[in-house]
Amino acid sequence: MKTFSRHVLSAAVTTIILGLGSAAHAAEDTIKIALAGPTTGPVAQYGDMQMMGAKMAVEQINAKGGVNGKKLEAVVMDDACEPKQAVAVANQIVNQKIKFVIGHLCSGSTQPASKLYEDEGIFMITPAATNPAITQQKYKMVFRTIGTDDQQGPTAGRYIANKVKPKKLAIIHDKQQYGEGIAKEVDKTVKAAGITPVLFEGINKGQTDFSALITKMKKDGVDFVYYGGYHPELGLLLRQSREQGFDAKYMGPEGVGNKDISAIAGPASEGLLVTLPADFSADPANAELVKAFKAKNEDPTGPFVMPAYAGVQIIADSIKATKTEDAVKIADYVRKNSFQTPIGKVAFKENGDLKEFEFVVFNWHADATKTPVK
Amino acid sequence: MSGFSFLEFLQQIINGLTLGSIYALIAIGYTMVYGIIGMINFAHGEIYMIGAYVGLMVITGLGLFGVHSITAILLVTLAISILVTGSYGWTVERLAYRPLRGSPRLVPLISAIGVSIFLQNYVQIGQGARDVSMQPVLTGGWRFGPEGGFQVYVSYMQVLIAVITVAFMSGLTLFIGRSRMGRACRACSEDRGMANLLGIDTDRVIALTFVLGAALAAVAGVLVSMYYGLVNPFIGFIAGLKAFTAAVLGGIGSIPGAMLGGVVLGLAESFASAYLQTEYKDVVAFALLILVLLVRPTGLLGRPDVEKV
Amino acid sequence: MPRALSDALLAAALTAVLLTPIFGLHIRVDGVNVSLNRTPMPVIVAVVIVFLLRLFQQPLQRLWAKLRAPASWRENALTAALGQTVQQPRYRLALWLLLLAAAMIWPFTASRGAVDVMTLALIYVMLGLGLNIVVGFAGLLVLGYAAFYAVGAYTYAYLAQQYGLSFWWGLPLAGGLAALTGFLLGLPVLRLRGDYLAIVTLGFGEITRLLLNNLNSLTGGPDGIGNIPRPTLFGLEFNRVASEDGTAFHEFFGLDYSGNHGVIFMYLLGLALVLATLFVINRLLRMPLGRAWEALREDETACRSLGLNPTVIKLSALTLSAAFAGFAGAFFAARQGYINPESFTFIESAMVLAIVVLGGMGSQLGVMLAAVAITVLPELAREFNEYRMLAFGLVMVLMMMWRPQGLIPASRPPQKLPEHAEATQ
Repeated sequence: MKTFSRHVLSAAVTTIILGLGSAAHAAEDTIKIALAGPTTGPVAQYGDMQMMGAKMAVEQINAKGGVNGKKLEAVVMDDACEPKQAVAVANQIVNQKIKFVIGHLCSGSTQPASKLYEDEGIFMITPAATNPAITQQKYKMVFRTIGTDDQQGPTAGRYIANKVKPKKLAIIHDKQQYGEGIAKEVDKTVKAAGITPVLFEGINKGQTDFSALITKMKKDGVDFVYYGGYHPELGLLLRQSREQGFDAKYMGPEGVGNKDISAIAGPASEGLLVTLPADFSADPANAELVKAFKAKNEDPTGPFVMPAYAGVQIIADSIKATKTEDAVKIADYVRKNSFQTPIGKVAFKENGDLKEFEFVVFNWHADATKTPVK
Repeated sequence: MSGFSFLEFLQQIINGLTLGSIYALIAIGYTMVYGIIGMINFAHGEIYMIGAYVGLMVITGLGLFGVHSITAILLVTLAISILVTGSYGWTVERLAYRPLRGSPRLVPLISAIGVSIFLQNYVQIGQGARDVSMQPVLTGGWRFGPEGGFQVYVSYMQVLIAVITVAFMSGLTLFIGRSRMGRACRACSEDRGMANLLGIDTDRVIALTFVLGAALAAVAGVLVSMYYGLVNPFIGFIAGLKAFTAAVLGGIGSIPGAMLGGVVLGLAESFASAYLQTEYKDVVAFALLILVLLVRPTGLLGRPDVEKV
Repeated sequence: MPRALSDALLAAALTAVLLTPIFGLHIRVDGVNVSLNRTPMPVIVAVVIVFLLRLFQQPLQRLWAKLRAPASWRENALTAALGQTVQQPRYRLALWLLLLAAAMIWPFTASRGAVDVMTLALIYVMLGLGLNIVVGFAGLLVLGYAAFYAVGAYTYAYLAQQYGLSFWWGLPLAGGLAALTGFLLGLPVLRLRGDYLAIVTLGFGEITRLLLNNLNSLTGGPDGIGNIPRPTLFGLEFNRVASEDGTAFHEFFGLDYSGNHGVIFMYLLGLALVLATLFVINRLLRMPLGRAWEALREDETACRSLGLNPTVIKLSALTLSAAFAGFAGAFFAARQGYINPESFTFIESAMVLAIVVLGGMGSQLGVMLAAVAITVLPELAREFNEYRMLAFGLVMVLMMMWRPQGLIPASRPPQKLPEHAEATQ
């Protein structure tokens, strides 16, 4: 009996492995776009923004008759923001002969995956990964519709140095690629302007208690805090600071510019400074689109929604214009032309970064609205 | 770091004690289960997470009904949350661990890891991966210290956490020490086989242990959702790991040990964050664990390991 | 009947309590407003199903027993004969060779994605076999195995980045350094017993991960280390464009470039490493050292009384085990081309441990099968997203119930005393 089950098992495993290979689909009457990002795991909520934006673009383009008579088809691929899974996803994409990718979301998973796309001639456009290293590899196939940490950091740093002029500045980050990257850029900029932060340290991702850190900053007389990271940790920091009577002003990058920060921090989120891409959902040109999202009960204000939408649109427009689905030619076309998208008129640099991506400093309010700082 | 300030030191102790209370409440669940069936219940952190969800839900619900009395909120929330997590504790034990009784030591451990993964994703499917949050129901506190200088701040919530923790811990100690069921628990942790022979329904005692552990995790969950106000399906993992560390630090299997371990861990993290760098606080916490075990291989209050032949 | 009814009511009530907060109520955060949505349908359906199942449990069980009656099919003559054939050493060797041949030919027929997933599976096979030494053979529970894996990966990545060292130099160094780490950790902690050892290794694993994340100048911190070169085949590279003084594989053989060459090469390399691992471990198991591991697992006191030094034996097991994790780590870094601390979390250690236990502790074939299953199954279900991990957790629990001894329990033919030894009695 023991040996029998052994045979059954090995047979089952073999079938499964062989099955993996034959998963490729036969029908090729659609243009497939892979949406690679996290739909599970702790950052799934950012993945949702990306999927929401990209799917909306696919739907709207299909409703207008698709591209060159073909419909677009979105294929969601979950990488859980794990580098290991990202490579597996990238290979799946190669496998299924998908030529266009919107993703990945986290810089850590974008980096290993982008090498594969480059080698295999797959067109990749990330709406969310902001680490400068991604486009420093001189890849031909890799683009992004979001600004980089070294664009955003200096914007914040200059604002702190020129406008705020804090007496004692603290820079906190979440020890993640995104948060620490941006915090370092801010650090560099303010130091160049002659301000030395009294504190530069990391917290742990998922940490909920910041009372010890707040006590320390309170004692050191810190009056301005820059936080590099995402909104849950900053929300808690704000809330606990207010609780402890530590009334320094806070500032953060677009990762914190999410309605949820007010849900967590409540009144403590009033007066928070945030560097954000210009608010695309407030742009009157996007009013129709915002309505479409609202009709589906979706929130278009997340930072990655519109960039993901723009990514799909750029792919569709390029296919239309070049009348080819050859990803290498598309990449070439994208590099040379500009596109009218919900994130404005976009054109790309040689390395795949946006030529212009403006970050604006906003004043955040307790009711989760924001106004640009003059 | 500009000099040493006594008031800051005091504030850090208060911060550490608050954090430690939460760890201690969760740690009890690990230590009781370990004491009785010698198993590391990795899914315990997830039970705490469910407790926090329920806490947040009930408080939000009460808010919608217009209940604002803090006592009423606290009592209702604790009761409902304990009911739910207690049910989870019982069900998980019944379905995933009881059938494995008597198998090799590692088997229930793997099952527990499986339950932990399952519950995390199960809550994610039901409630979404997004953080859910709510506003504090109890704000304000006392301030001590010079006007204009560094003031020590003790919030009402911190006091409430301490009071509730102490109350539940004393209740548990009384229950284990005085009641009939508690005596059965102690007998089981001494020698389960013997207890069984003497007519104690060990299955019931084990189920009770899981329910009690889960109930205390629910208390921690409710307090956390009131204090921090942020819940997501992944909070259980980190809190569970820390609480487990606390349980081992204090001597796993010992209930006072879990309390002591929680407080020591909370203080260590607080001081590491205050006088070193915050990013090293977890390194300090785990290093402390290793050092303590090297010096006292059974933890601070653990009994010396009697070799069973 | 009343008894069944009250049982069923109780079960239904329990189901309601369990499911209502997760599926019956949904917390909705919209801006600053928090509200509760009621979605009672799933709960009601579940409660009704549980109630009915529980109410008619006994009739259902009887029905089930009837359906299951002809159970003798499992023991038919054919499988018995097959089983006996396989037991014979000669056929066993043939079976292994057949499997090996299949594993070597397979990548040329399969798709790229499948080969890549299998490469990942081979990494887990290596990790599983390595951890099996300490957990399966020596009986020591180690919960921080990912630390050694990380040391291996970072050693190769760092050396490649800083000194341009090739994979073939990096591999032994990675294994060596990981082994050294295992040895140094083992020295003080191996005198701890049982679960305390598990906790200390867990703490060590977490500290390692945090240090990798914090020591930016050495490890790149959260940015990790990128551009890690792939292994070369006698100096031939698997890139589209070869580096300045290198030659690309496809240029050398005059082939068109295909990413598949590199992927298949990685797979075959992984296979070779797994074979090497298997070979070394199997030799060791037949040496006094390997025997001592198992003796120690069975009875430490008896071991001591036979004059064996438990600390030395444990230390050797941990060091060797760490070395294999180091090799696997270097290979992983080469496959990824990029590593950061996220790849070496506690979950990673738990997964490898699950592989060892699911496979059947001490059983090498079982561990290999489990490693393949644990890597391939979630990959197959990628479209199901969050349900995939839910099912994964469930399978872990169910497997422990149905086959607590693992997929293929370790079996060792009992050592028979020589005939004359009995005759003299």
